[in-house]
Amino acid sequence: MKDYVSIRNKSGLISFQLHKKFLYVLFMLVLFSSFIIVLCLSIGSSFISPIEVVKYLFGFGSGEHDFILHTLRMPRVFLGFMVGAALGVSGLILQGIIRNPLASPDIIGITGGASVGAIIFIVYFMGTISLKWLPLAAILGAGIVSIFIYALSWKNGVTPIRLVLIGIGVAAAMNAIVTIMIVISETAVTTKAYLWLTGSLYGGNWEDVYLMLPWIIVFIPLTLFFSKTVNAKELGDDVATGLGVRVQWVRLSLLLISVALAGSAVAFAGGIGFVGLIAPHIARMLAGRMFGGLVFISALVGGSIVVLADVMARTAFLPLDIPAGVFTSGIGAPFFIYLLYRNRHNIR
Amino acid sequence: MLRKSFLALLTMLLASVILTACATDDSTNDNDANGDSAAEEKETASKEDSNGKEASIRVIKHAMGETEIEGTPERVVTLYQGATDAAVAMGIKPVGIVESWVEKPVYNYLRDDLDGVPIVGLETQPNLEEIAKLDPDLIIASKLRHEEIYEKLSQIAPTVAHETVYEFKETVELVGEAMNMAEKADEVLAAWDNRVADFKTKVQKKLGEKWPLNVGLLNFRADHARIYFTSFAGIVLNDLGFERPENQREDVWGIKLTSKESIPEMNADIFYIFMSDDEAVHQTYEEWTSHPLWKNLDAVKNDQVYLVDEVAWNMGGGILAANLMLDDIYDRLGLEE
Repeated sequence: MKDYVSIRNKSGLISFQLHKKFLYVLFMLVLFSSFIIVLCLSIGSSFISPIEVVKYLFGFGSGEHDFILHTLRMPRVFLGFMVGAALGVSGLILQGIIRNPLASPDIIGITGGASVGAIIFIVYFMGTISLKWLPLAAILGAGIVSIFIYALSWKNGVTPIRLVLIGIGVAAAMNAIVTIMIVISETAVTTKAYLWLTGSLYGGNWEDVYLMLPWIIVFIPLTLFFSKTVNAKELGDDVATGLGVRVQWVRLSLLLISVALAGSAVAFAGGIGFVGLIAPHIARMLAGRMFGGLVFISALVGGSIVVLADVMARTAFLPLDIPAGVFTSGIGAPFFIYLLYRNRHNIR
Repeated sequence: MLRKSFLALLTMLLASVILTACATDDSTNDNDANGDSAAEEKETASKEDSNGKEASIRVIKHAMGETEIEGTPERVVTLYQGATDAAVAMGIKPVGIVESWVEKPVYNYLRDDLDGVPIVGLETQPNLEEIAKLDPDLIIASKLRHEEIYEKLSQIAPTVAHETVYEFKETVELVGEAMNMAEKADEVLAAWDNRVADFKTKVQKKLGEKWPLNVGLLNFRADHARIYFTSFAGIVLNDLGFERPENQREDVWGIKLTSKESIPEMNADIFYIFMSDDEAVHQTYEEWTSHPLWKNLDAVKNDQVYLVDEVAWNMGGGILAANLMLDDIYDRLGLEE
């Protein structure tokens, strides 16, 4: 047991073990993420030296970069990091409870629900109601659709396979609704809808950052309550029940957390795809399979992916600023195919 | 234990939803308050100046509220195609424009006048850093496209916004007002009205009883066809006195037709068809126009089917594009201006 550090409070409510190597990985990743954030704050239409950026972050900056850094880049980078972190953890949870490496918020209908909420808002309320309410519509959509999926999957309890199948079915239905809505609306509205569906951090401001923050600081730590049970659940429902895990309660709670995280992420950044799928995989490659630690790693990896995608989106084709979702999908789709390939050939 | 934590979780979920809702509320109020106080500050500022300069501060009402503009702006950035077009029509060379939808980066008909003007990104996502670098003193935007970045644009320079992107005459008025060139705007619009009047008399003389014609504005896409009712071209045609067939008078943008069985819906005296230059689109066009139902349409029987330029008829969205459309219409009806 020397290689492990146990983290456990008195009542045992929070309890997980960390591999020593994990702490090293975590440390490196925090360093890496900070590096990425500073880099992304430096790059843009005009380059601001990283030293200047760090100075600014610690409050010693000169006023000359106020607009570019404080108003334009910082909210966008911070929001992107939180969105990525939320998606990463959400994907990790889903892959854990469904016990399928291909599970992600995109695939089981959460993103679909949020999209329908957002598109209904864009088609029917844009212009009359302020766009500030768009995130709420998206979160409501995600919530309602997930409850719907869960209710449909209920048959003396919910099994992962039913959840996935119904999730995929409902996701398809949601896509159909989105398509109908786009077909019936005029070009200008369609343009807005497509932009939202691709996913973009464009126009992110501090208000969004403050609204997103509570979701992150509440729900990501909350997952740690479940880390020991998720580890047991990885062995299958029957074994987990035998080990004393109340499988249904845990599953429902985790699903709710996952929906809250993915829903809030999608609400502020639109349909940024594949992050929820890739981030947990990269996290596992880096840090093994203990759920408790993976929560942090997935969050950091997810955050870094989105921030990197966004910086590419706003600098690769200067002066054009294109949606970040284009890049996450561009990286994500090949990765997905690789996962399918690996699954099939059992290469470990 | 778990039941307890589940309850706790549910409470937190609820709480955060409520918090989010409240927070959104608060922040909107905050913003309003900030806006107000900022406005007040400016008001007092202008009062202090009132001895000499008050006349030079103009308050422009527009789709996103009111904006104060001091003096005559010289460095304007236009963020939608129609506004760029309007600026050129009034003899203004913007310091920054957004990329065109086709014929990138600038429509051919505007290219000579906009030689060397930097592109600041896409109409849907203009690059704010690029705009800031240009140090403009006026930004012309559209609420439809730029509602969520309006605050940021306003921090760069006074920003006025139109509700849509295709009301070409209102765009000219807005640009005129904001640029302190209201007279020039009136002149451009008067020239347009004269042309419209000329067209109406001549078309009446030539067609007699048959005027006004029912016009069908068609657009083919890769997998469907559209009839446009109100749109940029719709507004122009309406101005010129064309009418729409009875089944196309609803006050919506238009309809999409996905089945060739709906071809009779298109029926009108004259067709103007625009489409993108794309293999799949041409394919759809061939398929639809070779369908037996197509031959029964009035416009086809009268040989009044015209393929028109999509930039002038749809993408341009400005007064110059409207004039190009009118040139085209004169031409095709065999009228002399």
